[in-house]
Amino acid sequence: MNKFAIIIFLFGFLIFASCKVDPKIIEPLPSDNLVEVVPLGWPQPIYSFSVNTISEDKFVLGRALFYDPILSEDSTISCGSCHQQFVAFAHADHNVSHGIYDRVGTRNSPGLFNLTWHPLFMHDGGVNHIEVQPLAPISNTLEMGANINPVIVKLQASSKYRNMFLKAFGTEVVSSQNMFRAMTQFMGLMYSYNSKFDLYKRRENNVELSDAELRGYNLFLTNCNTCHKEPLFSDFDFRSNGLAVNPLVNDIGREHITNSPQDKYKFKTPSLRNIAKTAPYMHDGRFNTLQQCLDHYANVKPNLINLDPLLLNNGLPLSSQDKQDIIAFLNTLTDYKFLADKRFADPNY
Amino acid sequence: MKIIIKFFAIALLISFVACKKDAKDPEPEPTPVTPAPTTGTLKLEFEHMVDTLPLDFVQSYVNANLDTFKISTLKYYISNVVLTKTDNSTFVEANSYHLVDVASPVSTILNIANVPVGSYKSLSFTLGVDSARNNSGAQTGDLDPAKGMFWTWTSGYIMFKLEGSSPQSGSTGKGLTYHIGGFGGVNKTQRNFNFNFASTTSNITGSNSPMIHLSVDLNEFFKNPTTINVATQFFQMSTGVNAKTYADNYADMISFEHVHN
Ligand code: HEC
Ligand code: HEC
Repeated sequence: MNKFAIIIFLFGFLIFASCKVDPKIIEPLPSDNLVEVVPLGWPQPIYSFSVNTISEDKFVLGRALFYDPILSEDSTISCGSCHQQFVAFAHADHNVSHGIYDRVGTRNSPGLFNLTWHPLFMHDGGVNHIEVQPLAPISNTLEMGANINPVIVKLQASSKYRNMFLKAFGTEVVSSQNMFRAMTQFMGLMYSYNSKFDLYKRRENNVELSDAELRGYNLFLTNCNTCHKEPLFSDFDFRSNGLAVNPLVNDIGREHITNSPQDKYKFKTPSLRNIAKTAPYMHDGRFNTLQQCLDHYANVKPNLINLDPLLLNNGLPLSSQDKQDIIAFLNTLTDYKFLADKRFADPNY
Repeated sequence: MKIIIKFFAIALLISFVACKKDAKDPEPEPTPVTPAPTTGTLKLEFEHMVDTLPLDFVQSYVNANLDTFKISTLKYYISNVVLTKTDNSTFVEANSYHLVDVASPVSTILNIANVPVGSYKSLSFTLGVDSARNNSGAQTGDLDPAKGMFWTWTSGYIMFKLEGSSPQSGSTGKGLTYHIGGFGGVNKTQRNFNFNFASTTSNITGSNSPMIHLSVDLNEFFKNPTTINVATQFFQMSTGVNAKTYADNYADMISFEHVHN
């Protein structure tokens, strides 16, 4: 009867081994599974992982690349230098980007989360697909300064990366496509949907908003939600929210991409999720506090080129109490679980 | 013992059913006689000229505005190659994206494989990359952004890239830099070409490899309909109405020469 048991076991094993499990099912990482998520009540994302199927090996490779300065010309700057997890992947205390050789750019580094819902990337929407996004900082002489080819040569020369590409894509040959797809897995799976406000909305854990937060939410719905639209807190459109033009830089925003004068000084509406963490604010990081942002909205000059019609009437009618309440509400949009999620942390620390 | 045998049978069955997609069909027996080929390869050769002079990176040439110029880089995409037979049926090349780079002579002859046997009377293709591939993320092969033909700050392919120099150039370094792109809307820069092989046909038999000769006249880039004056028009690196001007110029840059069967 013993033999019988062994045979049963062997057969069970054979059946198992002969059918490779679907690659979508993966080992759990430290805190959670890696799966595509569409939180309750959210629209379908624009990028789906149907071609670039999710696997832990690709994610881990993408994360290694994101945090590795090997991607920059002088090997000093990684994506993670300008996109730091503790501030929702924005750049703490930097109003405009700081690149290799201490070169200073002209734009503020935005937080990175829920990227698969973005139709276009960058403050001016110049990048049209999440997979080609990493090309921009790598080739920007003010940021990482490298051309993609030397980066591929450096990765190909590294036994660590050859091994990781082999595990992730079944080939040691480093290609830009595999590199970008791995980075897309890492960035694209950075979902943030567990703020206090989300728990309140989903009626989870009996979370309630305070009176001030609720007042702020209602004011937000009247004054801000057309542009910073729930649940992503952006309409992903390009608008002028009435910032005075900085003549030293004269960043024309969206017009730079479309060549259309109607797009002059328009910038992508940023998401306000994790906004309490992503200071400084606006495309050029001109404001350091949310108070300054709200003061701006309460007093917009009506004569600016292409100013959004919603703000034509000297901006928004906000009392100082209203501003306090809106800030209280904005503070409920911080997703502490996301900021501390070990899956997204620098694996070298 | 019977139980064990039964179990074997059931287990075998399960492993079969459970792994249907892994189960391999038995290899077909190799046929002793090789059947007549049903497809062949066609070559498209692009010969680069400036008027009647062959293009190289050393000589100076003169354009329609009588500016003297040299070329140091010339790269462009040829895509969506379609061949039409004398019976009007067509062959559409799959995944048809080719980067022609004059610095790399092999790239100036495109191998169009798996073309069905038959006689062909015409050819069409696009100079540039269709809008779909400009919007689809990381690509491979000739569309790999590592080829240096993809704009990173405003996503999209550079359809046509010509660099060189001219003593008349308005740039301080006397350079000429024309990176022409823009994949949608009124200022798109792809241009379609259609060629009838006149009285000849290109015959694919499967054992030959016929070649279609095309000539590319770079002087057309500098004229017709707009004569380019390099004193002011020496730099183009973005999409828009200026890029379209150059694209309209190169729209008649390629012509059909002849067919070799
Ligand atoms: C020197 C600082 C710096 C580095 C290094 C850097 N970024 Fe950025 N990142 C920025 C800035 C600044 C912007 C906004 C640029 C703009 O709008 O022109 C940005 C924008 C982005 C965006 C678009 C976000 C949005 O909301 O549209 C993504 C995604 C991104 N970066 C990912 C990366 C990746 C991946 C890397 C590494 C390959 C990287 N970044 C390296 C500063 C940096
Ligand atoms: C007309 C559309 C519109 C309205 C209404 C609007 N915003 Fe904005 N908001 C924008 C745009 C566009 C930007 C980006 C501007 C830039 O970067 O130059 C922005 C930027 C911000 C920022 C900075 C975000 C960052 O990451 O840098 C904050 C904070 C903000 N808005 C809060 C609010 C609040 C609160 C309200 C309501 C009181 C509001 N906005 C109303 C369009 C709008």
